[in-house]
Amino acid sequence: MTEHAKTAPSNHTSLTQRLRSFDLRRHTYLLSVVFFLILCGINIALQPSFLQPGVMVSNLSTFLPLILVSIGQTYVILASDIDLSVGSIVSLVNVATVSIIEGMGGTGGAIALGLTTGLGLGIAAGLFNGLCVALLRFQPIVTTFATGIIFAGLALWILPQAGKQVPATVWQTYGGSILGVQTVIWVLTLAVIFALVLARTRFHHALLATGGQMQSAFQTGLHVLRVRITAYALSGLFSALAALCLVGETASGDPLLGTGYTLSSISAVVLGGTALSGGIGGFIGSVFGAMILGLIDNVIFFARLPFEYQGLVQGLIVLLALAGGVFVSRR
Amino acid sequence: MTILRARNIRKRFGGVVALEQGDLALGAGEVHVLIGSNGCGKSTLCKIIGGSVAPDGGSLELSSEPVRFRTPHAAAAAGIGVFYQELSLIPQLTVAENIFLGREPRTAYGLVDRKRLRSDAETAIRPFGAVVGQGFGPDVLVSDLSADQRQIVEILKVLSENSRIVIFDEATASLDSKQVAVFFDLIRSLKAEDHAIIFISHRMDEVFAIGDRVTVMRNGRTVVSVAIAETTQDEIVAHMVGGAYIAAADRKEAPAPLTGTAVLAARNLVGRKLADVSFSLQRGEILGLGGLHGQGQSDLLRSLFGAESLAGGSVFLDGKPLLLRKPSDAIANGIAYISGDRSRYGVLPIRSIFENLVIGLVSKQRPVGLNYGALVKRIAPVAERLKLKFPSFAAPVSDLSGGNQQKVVIGRWLAVAPAVLLLDDPTKGIDLQTKHDLYVILRELCAEGVSIILYSSEDKELLGNADRILVFNGGRIVRELEGERMGEFELYQAAYAAS
Ligand SMILES: Nc1ncnc2c1ncn2[C@@H]1O[C@H](COP(=O)(O)OP(=O)(O)O)[C@@H](O)[C@H]1O
Ligand SMILES: [Mg+2]
Repeated sequence: MTEHAKTAPSNHTSLTQRLRSFDLRRHTYLLSVVFFLILCGINIALQPSFLQPGVMVSNLSTFLPLILVSIGQTYVILASDIDLSVGSIVSLVNVATVSIIEGMGGTGGAIALGLTTGLGLGIAAGLFNGLCVALLRFQPIVTTFATGIIFAGLALWILPQAGKQVPATVWQTYGGSILGVQTVIWVLTLAVIFALVLARTRFHHALLATGGQMQSAFQTGLHVLRVRITAYALSGLFSALAALCLVGETASGDPLLGTGYTLSSISAVVLGGTALSGGIGGFIGSVFGAMILGLIDNVIFFARLPFEYQGLVQGLIVLLALAGGVFVSRR
Repeated sequence: MTILRARNIRKRFGGVVALEQGDLALGAGEVHVLIGSNGCGKSTLCKIIGGSVAPDGGSLELSSEPVRFRTPHAAAAAGIGVFYQELSLIPQLTVAENIFLGREPRTAYGLVDRKRLRSDAETAIRPFGAVVGQGFGPDVLVSDLSADQRQIVEILKVLSENSRIVIFDEATASLDSKQVAVFFDLIRSLKAEDHAIIFISHRMDEVFAIGDRVTVMRNGRTVVSVAIAETTQDEIVAHMVGGAYIAAADRKEAPAPLTGTAVLAARNLVGRKLADVSFSLQRGEILGLGGLHGQGQSDLLRSLFGAESLAGGSVFLDGKPLLLRKPSDAIANGIAYISGDRSRYGVLPIRSIFENLVIGLVSKQRPVGLNYGALVKRIAPVAERLKLKFPSFAAPVSDLSGGNQQKVVIGRWLAVAPAVLLLDDPTKGIDLQTKHDLYVILRELCAEGVSIILYSSEDKELLGNADRILVFNGGRIVRELEGERMGEFELYQAAYAAS
């Protein structure tokens, strides 16, 4: 009885407190959700078939690689660093995986080896970035720009021209379904669950702290070096995952495949409300940011805009979304 | 029983000697006061003990075992917790997240238990519940907190580590008396549990209220260590200031009358951190602002530059009222501002030395058709006078040492010949030679009729350069020191005894 009398009011205050303490700065992704919904509405108006399951899955599989790269980029940006090499990692992993699978005869073992090597390669590339930036204290922008050139060069060395084939099972599995659920949905779901779990770890707190105020994080006793390197490794891992999705999607290798992903992923992260200065934001916004960029492409396509205006409109929409974010965070 | 012993610790930052001989012997269950004037090396010694700064020499012993902490993590693992003077908080995180950062409670699955994080934080906050003020709670972002609330979070953070040795580096600087009382209760219970505490404060009443032993530092050296019961306030201050000790009478000064010949006069200024500040600045004078850190000195300077808004009062320049809404108002009237925080307020790091020097001139010229030859002619003598060591005018400022960067910032204002120069701790982190060069330049400027207001976090710099010193406390001028009465002892008395 007394127990109840004690807890009831405290529950009540904690609810009102929680409502009062609801702070947009802790939920910076909300704006990207709103913008995403608006774009969905426009898309439905322009393309009534948008809501059909087949169209949705096809949209999703188009957006998926950028979503994955953007999730990875989020961790690096949260630590107040940046990764300009993600596009090149996508290319490198893509050609390496395809080359291994074809070179080893396209057997089941070859496929397994190709996929795991691809993932390992992505993580290794990320670790290399992280070591250069955190341990050797190189400037993140310049370093990852340079390593990006190296990774792109490696990709061209492995496969000078687009080509090679992976066995049909690969793209059939990717385009099909596993246990009655589309493979792309599996990939997205697993990636999101992974990121959700990661967001509940001590590592994630340390990541936000490192990006928020590195000196304080260090003085608090956090392993700032380890945190930054891990963030780059995660970026490499997610870029590699994106590359594998692209293998499934295109069924072939292309050394220039990843080029556009670097800047798009940064745009997606920023659209999703993560601050480039670090410490604020999270992967959910980046997922929506990536889908926003994809939907903008859709809308422009279905609006049948003349080709010459497409870039202009695309840029303006991105600017509008960013301006909204700035407006909210300044309040 | 001595549980921590520091012997002969040395540390230099570039050309600055922060610690020459740091010695300390800390006993278990003891509150050990570390005291000394601003810039004497207390914080550096604490950071070395806490593992966040690597010493150049000397030794540390923990329970008679030699130790060497390479990171704060290693020191924390050995049972040392530090309240950092400049705080170690993450503004983007909440109070609860900050208190338990790196030590968040976890569920059986190894994930952060947010419910417990919150309830643990509530428990930790409880002792301060009645005195913490509005807008405080586990879910509030630290960036939204006031200065005293942040200090309380830092206190809770270090207490929650439950370390054997706890260092409080000026933990009470922004706390009011009720908050200090709660804090002292917590320290007493730590002491009862046989924890050892290093306590840094400038407030003498606190030192005598909580301390068991006091170690006095002066100019990077440990001078003496005695039991609190066997010493007096005057004796401590005498050790702090060394030979400068004179048993001067503790007299209250009447504020100097505002004269008509003043270049700059301020009357009853009220601001966010200023309460009823009045003074006048004579032509060719260096007026020093003294007192503890953050008592409104920087705020006054920034307000006079139009960078912070005033809630009341008036400023007169050459007898005429002046409206200071933004820095360009001040600049247009010949008022210049230089901060020691160069990266935030001073240089344009990636731009060339030339661009950094002429920026003040350019903004006065017509917007197009810069005459480069004329500009170089104007700034070449400035660079010479500053004894600026630089490869070429085209080199980026970031290539220069900190001291030379600061010279560039000053040179920028010399080029436009200001009437009033506001210096906000201008020599922070600058080597001795450059400091000396700057002092000489300040004197030359005064001789030419420039009037200077100088705030310095180092007492010696004020005493060595200012003609008069206004001592601040809580946003007010509590004392004016001048002539014979302007010694290290009087400055210390005025700044610390008054608080
Ligand atoms: N990171 C740093 N870089 C350059 N100089 C420093 C640094 N930290 C401290 N100093 C200098 O070392 C001296 C001692 O500083 P500090 O230990 O903070 O003194 P205190 O805490 O006693 O006021 C001062 O002259 C200060 O300017
Ligand atoms: Mg200090």
